[in-house]
Amino acid sequence: MEVAYYPGCSLHQSSQFYDLQTKRIFSELGTKIVEINDWSCCGATSAGKFDDFLAVALPSRNLGIAENAGFTEMLIPCSGCYSSHLMAKTRLRSNETLRSDINAELAFPVKNTIKLLTILELLLEAAKQGKFESKITRQLKGLKPASYYGCMTRFAYDVPVSDNVENPQGMEKILDMLGAETMDWSYKTACCGASAAINDSETAMNLMGKIMKNAVHSGFNCIVTTCPMCQLNLDAYQNTYCNKFGIYERLPVYFITELIGVAMGIPLEELNAHRHFIDTLGLVKELNLI
Amino acid sequence: MTLSALSYNPQTAKSFIDEVIERSHQNLYACYQCRRCASGCTVGEETGITPDYLIRLVTLGDRDAAVDNALVWQCVSCYTCGTRCPNNIQSGRITETLKKMSREEDVIPLNPNIAYFHDAFVQGCTRWGRVNEMEFMGYYELKNIGKHMLSFQFRKAYEEIASQIKLGRSMFKQKRLHLKLHTSRGRKEVKQFYKIAVKKKASLKKERRSQIKNRQE
Repeated sequence: MEVAYYPGCSLHQSSQFYDLQTKRIFSELGTKIVEINDWSCCGATSAGKFDDFLAVALPSRNLGIAENAGFTEMLIPCSGCYSSHLMAKTRLRSNETLRSDINAELAFPVKNTIKLLTILELLLEAAKQGKFESKITRQLKGLKPASYYGCMTRFAYDVPVSDNVENPQGMEKILDMLGAETMDWSYKTACCGASAAINDSETAMNLMGKIMKNAVHSGFNCIVTTCPMCQLNLDAYQNTYCNKFGIYERLPVYFITELIGVAMGIPLEELNAHRHFIDTLGLVKELNLI
Repeated sequence: MTLSALSYNPQTAKSFIDEVIERSHQNLYACYQCRRCASGCTVGEETGITPDYLIRLVTLGDRDAAVDNALVWQCVSCYTCGTRCPNNIQSGRITETLKKMSREEDVIPLNPNIAYFHDAFVQGCTRWGRVNEMEFMGYYELKNIGKHMLSFQFRKAYEEIASQIKLGRSMFKQKRLHLKLHTSRGRKEVKQFYKIAVKKKASLKKERRSQIKNRQE
């Protein structure tokens, strides 16, 4: 069965390699994902701070396009996009007049029937069907990844989300399957500050410093995430907030797709995994994983 | 941080709390100040004000304090408060509502950068249908640096430019900056949504102004 795919703006720009990796990993697994036609920006959290109508209307356009193309499920790897689409779905369900107001402007009216999937849900689904077994060629021995979910995917807005909101386990399940050493830690759903890194940098550095401190103290040697915003923040500002908090260690911040790629034996250069600020290749080479 | 004693304003309390409830879709009457949101609040340490206090301000009808405080602007919308609340109140939605209210009342934000950022983002994404990181960051920085220049804070402007150049250079090195313009062919629909939103905001602002005028008379 085909699944609709909404990449979102950041997967076409600063995190372009996450788009490439997502497509590659799912094609290896045999899950067909199809990018929806002419999608537009979901408005992220900014639209909600600007106007309520706009915050629902922007994601609705994408929902309408996907539903009209006959899809029943849509993959949204970016946590911010996932959360704003989920919020729009909830609001549309409870407010019929809002839905008809929005539909009046849309070429593809929204019916609000599509199911949204995070990248973890789709990966776990593939794992359940046994698609991983034949593909995994090596075990990630010695890798101790801190599963960092960020705040957006455990978003519970009267909507049942697939994982526990306080202590999600999806990423650990996948990493365990790949042979990595997962451990518990306290900051897995903490917020990295998102756009505050730009417009309120002191707050964001304090938040990221706390996350990093806990990750280092818990004995992890890298961080894994599924959100492009978390990845960019924790990676690009790592020297800044580590210097501020007196943290000597630097941890590479991987996307989950990169670690799956390593386990599948795909060369990391092919996944563009070298486009990080903190070196990502050194650790996997040191552990003889590539 | 010490907080001053709260005062109850019987004239405005009922209408204000009802307005916030209607616009945020959160039942503030259900709050019994257990402060679970406060212990989860990501930015509580930075702001000194936590969601429970904000709800208290709204309940007591202290409109001026509720729309003009650090939490309203510094809230990072992580929605931790909402996942912790035993009564299912999403305080993140309340800060978003109060942000909009404070703009309608022309309150100058304690941290104007945050307002500039979100405006630049929304305008950028509705202009082209998709957000262009370079473009909207450019608009944001113009406004931000312009503000520093106008208030003769040249050092701050210089620091801002220097830090952005540093980030931009390292992103360029990693090939994470893209100069191509990303657009969506259906951006007409998106623009129409923006127009509706702006129109609605203008009428809300007008209404609020006449309310204030009536009260003064």
